[in-house]
Amino acid sequence: MDFQIFAFLLQDGITMGAVYVLLAVALVMVFNVTRIIYVPQGEFVSYTALTLATFEAGQRPATVWLLLGAGAVAFVMELLSLRAAGALVARRIAPPAGLYLAIPALLAALSGAGVGADRPLVVKVFLSVCIVVALAPALYRIAFRPIADASALTLLVAAIALHFVLVGLALHMFGPEGLRTPAFAGESFKLGFLTVSPQFLWVVGLSVLLIVCLFIFFGRSLYGKALRASAVSRRGAHLVGISTDFAGSLTLTLAAAIGAVSGVLIGPLTNMKFDSGFLLGLKGFVGAIIGGLAVYPLAAAGAVFVGVLETFASFWASAYKEVIVFTLIVPILIWRSIAQPHVDDEGEAEE
Amino acid sequence: MKFLSLAAAAAIALCGVAAHSQINVGVIYSATGPVAAAGIAEQRTIAILPKTLGGQKVNYVGLDDGGDTTATVKAARKLISEDKIDVLLGPTSSANSIAILSMLAQTETPMISLAGSASIVEPVEGPRKWAFKTPQSETLMASIVVEHMAKSGVKQLGVIAFNDAYGEGWLKEITRLSEQKGIKIVAVERYERSDSSATGQVLKVLATNPDAVFIGAAGTPGVIPQAALVERGFKGKIYQTHGIANDEFLKLGGKAVEGTFVPLAPMLVAEDLPPNHPAKKPSMEFISKFEAIPGAGARSPFAAYLWDAAIILDHAVPAAIKAGKPGTPEFRRALRDSIESVKDVPASNGSYTMSPTNHNGLDERGRVMTQIRDGKWKLVK
Amino acid sequence: MTRRILVPAVPLLLAIIAPFVLSSYAVTMLNYVFINAIVVLGLVLLTGVLGLISFGQAAFVGVGAYATAWMTVTLGLSPWLSLVLCVLVCGAIALSVGAMTLRMGGHYLAIATLAWGISFYYVFGNLRALGGFTGFGNIPAPSLGSWTLAGERSMYALIVLMLVASIWACVNLLDSRVGRAMRSIRYGAALPESFGVNVPRIKLTVFVLAAMLAAASGWLYAHLQGYINPSPFSVTVSIEYLFMAVIGGAAQIAGALLGAGVVTLVRDWLQDLMTALVGQAGNFEVVVFGVLMLIILNRAKSGLWPFLNSMLPKPSRCALPLAGPLPKVKRPSSTGNVLEVRAARKNFGGLVAVNAMSFEIEAGQILGLIGPNGAGKSTMFNLISGLLSLSSGEVVFRGRRIDGMSSAAIAKLGISRTFQHVKIVRSMTVLENVALGAWLRTSTGFVRSALRLDRAAEKAVFADALYQLERVGLGDMHGARSGALALGKQRILEIARALASDPVLLLLDEPAAGLRALEKRALADLLVNLRQQGLAILLVEHDMDFVMEVTDKLVVMNFGEKLASGTPMEVQSNPKVLEAYLGSDE
Repeated sequence: MDFQIFAFLLQDGITMGAVYVLLAVALVMVFNVTRIIYVPQGEFVSYTALTLATFEAGQRPATVWLLLGAGAVAFVMELLSLRAAGALVARRIAPPAGLYLAIPALLAALSGAGVGADRPLVVKVFLSVCIVVALAPALYRIAFRPIADASALTLLVAAIALHFVLVGLALHMFGPEGLRTPAFAGESFKLGFLTVSPQFLWVVGLSVLLIVCLFIFFGRSLYGKALRASAVSRRGAHLVGISTDFAGSLTLTLAAAIGAVSGVLIGPLTNMKFDSGFLLGLKGFVGAIIGGLAVYPLAAAGAVFVGVLETFASFWASAYKEVIVFTLIVPILIWRSIAQPHVDDEGEAEE
Repeated sequence: MKFLSLAAAAAIALCGVAAHSQINVGVIYSATGPVAAAGIAEQRTIAILPKTLGGQKVNYVGLDDGGDTTATVKAARKLISEDKIDVLLGPTSSANSIAILSMLAQTETPMISLAGSASIVEPVEGPRKWAFKTPQSETLMASIVVEHMAKSGVKQLGVIAFNDAYGEGWLKEITRLSEQKGIKIVAVERYERSDSSATGQVLKVLATNPDAVFIGAAGTPGVIPQAALVERGFKGKIYQTHGIANDEFLKLGGKAVEGTFVPLAPMLVAEDLPPNHPAKKPSMEFISKFEAIPGAGARSPFAAYLWDAAIILDHAVPAAIKAGKPGTPEFRRALRDSIESVKDVPASNGSYTMSPTNHNGLDERGRVMTQIRDGKWKLVK
Repeated sequence: MTRRILVPAVPLLLAIIAPFVLSSYAVTMLNYVFINAIVVLGLVLLTGVLGLISFGQAAFVGVGAYATAWMTVTLGLSPWLSLVLCVLVCGAIALSVGAMTLRMGGHYLAIATLAWGISFYYVFGNLRALGGFTGFGNIPAPSLGSWTLAGERSMYALIVLMLVASIWACVNLLDSRVGRAMRSIRYGAALPESFGVNVPRIKLTVFVLAAMLAAASGWLYAHLQGYINPSPFSVTVSIEYLFMAVIGGAAQIAGALLGAGVVTLVRDWLQDLMTALVGQAGNFEVVVFGVLMLIILNRAKSGLWPFLNSMLPKPSRCALPLAGPLPKVKRPSSTGNVLEVRAARKNFGGLVAVNAMSFEIEAGQILGLIGPNGAGKSTMFNLISGLLSLSSGEVVFRGRRIDGMSSAAIAKLGISRTFQHVKIVRSMTVLENVALGAWLRTSTGFVRSALRLDRAAEKAVFADALYQLERVGLGDMHGARSGALALGKQRILEIARALASDPVLLLLDEPAAGLRALEKRALADLLVNLRQQGLAILLVEHDMDFVMEVTDKLVVMNFGEKLASGTPMEVQSNPKVLEAYLGSDE
């Protein structure tokens, strides 16, 4: 292996690694605030890329209908629970109406603007991201809010069920074959003796930017601090007036935003199929675990490591690539769990 | 009195209906899961299959196995014992077809598989006596590829293949045939259907300086290594398998797949076939029917396998019906024997001639070498 | 009593008549349901009861299936022999994998099982000797003499037999000494360790057990189908098993069967339904399935079985046949102080929580440890009971140094404790919770428990537990679900549990907290009683009246150091104590 090849592999590895980092960060965030191991995170990625590709192909993506449908269901569920609580007043109905009905309707109306290869890419990207992000609160309301206090295991299984639904719908909406989104970066150029791909710069650059933004959000803004409070103690946050449902919904929406941006970033690089999301999310999850599902910088490092390891393993022994990546994780996990003094979980309360 | 005679008439009419027996044909396809692209095309084709086979009415019952062998076994069991099928068409993939062989033999149900691996029907003994298949096996397809490579002066070959049963089957055949023709295989790399990049593998292959690269993939994932090869400036010949024969591949591949050599079923270049080619007429008929299905898209070779299976049945049923009524073991046995004896049956994939030692039935006319030019398949003379 | 008979009997009867009345296809489906149920049983024990999430069960099924395929086809062994061997092989693999990964907590374990679950799949697929991705066929059906178990009805009998045996063993296991320990692990390792349970050992054993169940299921699968390839052993299938466990009711044995049944049958039924509704046009079965599962979780958070169970008549508590008392624990006799703490010091990084603490307790003495909040009392407590390790100094129990020993080992020597935040296993009865404390006094292990050979020992344990309950005044509540008790009574329950281990030294962490006046009275009487019987008691408490009345000696802590010590009278009038803790006139 000469240096050229090494550099190329490294670039490729870090590119994928950067995407895994974004996924890892999103997963850690969702877990910390809601205790949900959010298996369908990868679907946010694939949905965005596939929606964008469908716009590009000159069709209105079916994601729009899914958004409208999910919004309607969420709204009805909200109405029912408001009624059960005896709070069916206009003041209480307006916000859910806006979130679950008005925003989806608006996006559906605007979606016409993105249909066609000749429309500006920026518009298409913006619409794709918005549609997927707007889906998140509705999904949270439907699948997780009713069981928000259940054990982490139940939440995990609910997340898995949601994943089945989203993948099944994706097959129907986007077909069984892969799609690729248009590249926005341009051709590779030479930097000295290295061949640098602009897409690589975009991916890494945007990832870093996103992480910095998240850092500021969680560290400085009031909402971010509220989310962190929910993560530390749900009951405590609830007692000081932070709505844990709002926290959960906001977190999932943020995770969707991160996933959507990831989808736009890697769409041009790879074949996105209806079921591609799962494996992406899985590798992000591995990175997240290396960070102990808690520590962001370590999760990021872990995710980059997974990306680089994967690329190099595919060079050295491609048939065993998955075996290598996943078994090498184990010693790292052992090291992590020794390094982190095993805080004895208080255990789960039984019914 | 009137009531009694009415009742009697009704009873006789009912018996009449029952006596007008119909053939139950089961179809198993993988419309969800990793090979959904092939399975969905097959699923859609059921609607345009002939309503009568060999003069008998037909009832088709289709089930999705999602690509999972356990589900295939369950589906087969259901079709055989609940729906009382006389013959099974499908499954879509090789592993699933092999999984139900013993059940077929035990229940004496013939199967015409829609999957590619030769091991489904070879060697023709034991349970495989009941297994037939319409797709060309890798041997048939691989032979035209290797012939073309030898003719073009390829001396060193690199191989990048799926890390699953499909890739495995191809790798075996290409290796065997290349050895016979004196072509040296200088690199073998594998990648997953679900991978988003194959950079490492491609770099490794390029480092060995092959004259040509063979990619053993199916569907749009076949674009990934090819795009990487072209991007890295590979100028040699690139060969793919017939598994990539769909429009999405062409669309996704764009410029990167121009010039690829692909062995294909004759149906895909039906317009270019010489008029006396046995596949020409059946292909044109299939294409016009298939492309008329709303939402089906362009001609699919996987759908054509199912179409051909129906053609074979159409030819086999008349002889079988003499031995017994549909729904009886005698009929099924006779059907098996009859399928085994079809001779020179023209179908979209060529001409089928089955025998006790050959349960696929295709010969060299069953495939053609094509090249992708201007985003379309073009016959290579 | 009727419920106890009906609940297992009715399904069993149905299972027996099924192959005679149902079609071949239905029998096939039942075969797969039962095969899955065996795997899910293991998951119930591992994930439902112990709380360890595993994504690797399908890999173990694969190991069992491939092992038997290779042994019967390539080596030509008899399937019965290969059953024994493949279960053992799988157990051995689980032992080594588990030893590595179980030391990790919660989510690390989940990802580790995910990791090698995926690895196994690719290893199976890439090994030529095992047929690669194309698979391994010609697996012979097992035979008994001249009768070959080919076909779904004959295999059905074998599958049902193995399922029933597995269920019986698991039910016995949960209803035994080991089962009580297993159920307590969920609440954190501190609880079971405090009465001597070797928690890592139990986790590993259950992990191996779950793997062996999976291997047996794999054996059945291979010989039923006659052909295997890697696809049924992928991570997706592991996820489905987890699904089945949770949908059915993760912590209940019946949940395993219910979950396996519901998930498998609903999937099949959905396929028919969707084809009837939508024809050959779409493939919505998975979507509808996912939606259905979400609805089930919405309505029945702990799974279907608890939901259904609440509709069945409650099991009546059977009268307990009493047996002779358990022998008292033999301990080497010793003279002198029961406990001596010498210059104990504990620092967490730069923070010194406990510094230069020294005191002694004699037999038949009650020592109170008091001080303002944050003084280090709980830390001191945990240092003695082994939950924390000393930074320097010594703790000597009956002439033997115990600092540095694990809490389980310390429990073995004769120290028992209660907890500041009550840790009782809510799903067990009061009596069972107390029996938990007697862990070290009997020794029936997994095998004897599973085979129900432990009845004599169990009777003795329950008799002792009842005795302890009567001692603390809770005798008439022995059959109640412990979660239903008021907090004060739960604290008393913890004391009974601690007494069940026949300790020499009792460590009580705020026992009077949350008790009403009458209950405090009763507690005080109990403690005095215990003291008279020769027990040594170390008490941390905030209720001054209680402390002054009950204790013989007091040690006052402030800022991690000993502020004063002496009799209650002395301490009450000590000016330093008054200023720091009890309040002065300023």
